[in-house]
Amino acid sequence: MAVFLQSLISGVLIGGVYALIGIGLTLIFGVMRVINFAHGDIMMVGMYLTYLLFTLMGVDPFVSVLISFPLMFFFGGFLQKVFINRVLNAVAQNQILLTIGLGLVMSNTVMLIFTSDYKILTTSYSSSTIQVGGGVSISTPLLVSFLITAVITAALGWFLLKTDTGQAIRATAQDRDAAQLMGINVSRMSVIAFGLGAALAGTAGALISPTYYIFPQVGGTFTLKAFVITVLGGMGSVVGATLGGILIGITESMSAVYISSGWKDVVVFVLFLLVLLFKPSGLMGKSRT
Amino acid sequence: MNKSMLKAAIGLIVLAGLLVVPRFVESPYALHMMILLFLSVSQGQSWNILGGYAGQYSVGHAAYFGVGAYTTMMLMYSRQVVPWVGVWAGVAAVIVVALVIGSICFRLRGPYFVLASIAVAEIMRLSAINLTTLTNGAEGILVTEIPAFKIGERVVTDFLTKVPFYYIGLFLALLTLAITYWVQHSKLGYYFQAIREDQDAAHSLGIHISVYKNIGLVISAVLTSLAGSFYGIYVGFVDPPTVLGLDVSVQIMLICIIGGMGTIWGPVLGSLLLVPLSEALRSNMITEGLVKIGLVSADSKVGLFLKENLAHAHVLIYGILVVLVILFMPDGLMGFVKKLASRRKREAA
Repeated sequence: MAVFLQSLISGVLIGGVYALIGIGLTLIFGVMRVINFAHGDIMMVGMYLTYLLFTLMGVDPFVSVLISFPLMFFFGGFLQKVFINRVLNAVAQNQILLTIGLGLVMSNTVMLIFTSDYKILTTSYSSSTIQVGGGVSISTPLLVSFLITAVITAALGWFLLKTDTGQAIRATAQDRDAAQLMGINVSRMSVIAFGLGAALAGTAGALISPTYYIFPQVGGTFTLKAFVITVLGGMGSVVGATLGGILIGITESMSAVYISSGWKDVVVFVLFLLVLLFKPSGLMGKSRT
Repeated sequence: MNKSMLKAAIGLIVLAGLLVVPRFVESPYALHMMILLFLSVSQGQSWNILGGYAGQYSVGHAAYFGVGAYTTMMLMYSRQVVPWVGVWAGVAAVIVVALVIGSICFRLRGPYFVLASIAVAEIMRLSAINLTTLTNGAEGILVTEIPAFKIGERVVTDFLTKVPFYYIGLFLALLTLAITYWVQHSKLGYYFQAIREDQDAAHSLGIHISVYKNIGLVISAVLTSLAGSFYGIYVGFVDPPTVLGLDVSVQIMLICIIGGMGTIWGPVLGSLLLVPLSEALRSNMITEGLVKIGLVSADSKVGLFLKENLAHAHVLIYGILVVLVILFMPDGLMGFVKKLASRRKREAA
């Protein structure tokens, strides 16, 4: 029972970070209908940013979110304005290829600067845990990152539901043409949405950097995870992505315990294929006819 | 002399030239480059049949490349099966894999198909890492000695030099080129293109969509598997990231996309551009060149940095090229060349 609880808790905690990556991807897809294959690589850039801030200026990874969030927002906005914006009306395949290309450029540029060595960001609390009793313990960095994730998700929800800009973004996602007719600056909303997506991915990168290896190719795995999460939750649904992230986190940690850690990603991909086959609209998505 | 005869004549001269290259070129490095070029052409051409003609953007071709390479290498390593037999076992395995993948992924369209194809390739890669008794896991399989190829008692080749690999590679490249030519000019190819242009319209015209998609996939997968087996035997080593990684799928696809999808010469053009470029980066030729013309001094910080790192980043060139191609010439180099040619024709007229 303790093992079950333990893996459930760590699944939920890591799932929170996954949710953040998934929300970013789903936001971009919702507003632009572009599937961002560079999403994991953007997250990787966030990890290296955190690493730089930590090693050069001694900024704590969790505090560095305050710096990396706005920086990554501008980075995302830049990517949208210079590259993505030009293919908004192109066929889906070209959009996919463009983002794959951008991802390759990012990971290889980082490799050029930092080499492909694995970097570890060791903080005083990297391996500390909190005992909850019953033989269950919680990793401190995971708990803190989960709490930060929860705050950011709540803030994002408030932003999307309550502010004018947020509502304009949602309107654009619902119907781009109608939103434009209502006087919404849809191209500006696209820049903001991509910026937010990148900022969320970068933040996720910052949050996992104390507990994960940092290397230029780390993005690929997370891009795939982000897809699994968003498809599971329903493309374009923020609530779905949150649920999907936590569900994938739990699936991973459960299969690591009960099957083997080598096969946990296979379990996730098989689950993904099953969802694609039997409920392609996802848990929260409306089926498109 | 009319145009098609001219084309045929040029083709024959190039072919004859390629056939006699090993007689005059002794540098193993030059032969190595040519072999890489042939491999790249056959990879790009295989993808072209499914992606370029039938319009099914698979980003999981590493699955077929890797299964072909692994089957041949595993059989040679643990069962001493000679590679020219193992290759066909690889093809058989790939056909099974392709049909399973096809039956799953072809129910999906557009981006969902892309995602599913990636997921399947990743499952293959992770399985290769985890099924250690079969595949040696992350260590990979190293085969140092390839048995000599005999017909009866006569030794045809002992694979000691690069020359036999050169001819096998050339044959493979020509084979894929010929099959692409046949696809483009056959009824099958027209079906593929109809599916690419408008799946629903093709369906309403009575084309059995899933059957033809699967035919395209099997042709493409078998050719990719041959390329994979060839790669495995040539290099003598396979491990999960080099033959089953996502990078492999992306590179296979990019050869074709940068060159021009759905054209016979696109993948050839793409290979002619990409292979020398990425080799130049990999072998530090660019850094040495910069040093030679005096732009960067060899001992300076920048020089040492470039020497140290540029070699690792040869994939960067793929990334930059694909971004440029998508933004400025969405039909690839081939489309760009054609556009230029038709503009010249119009101006002349």
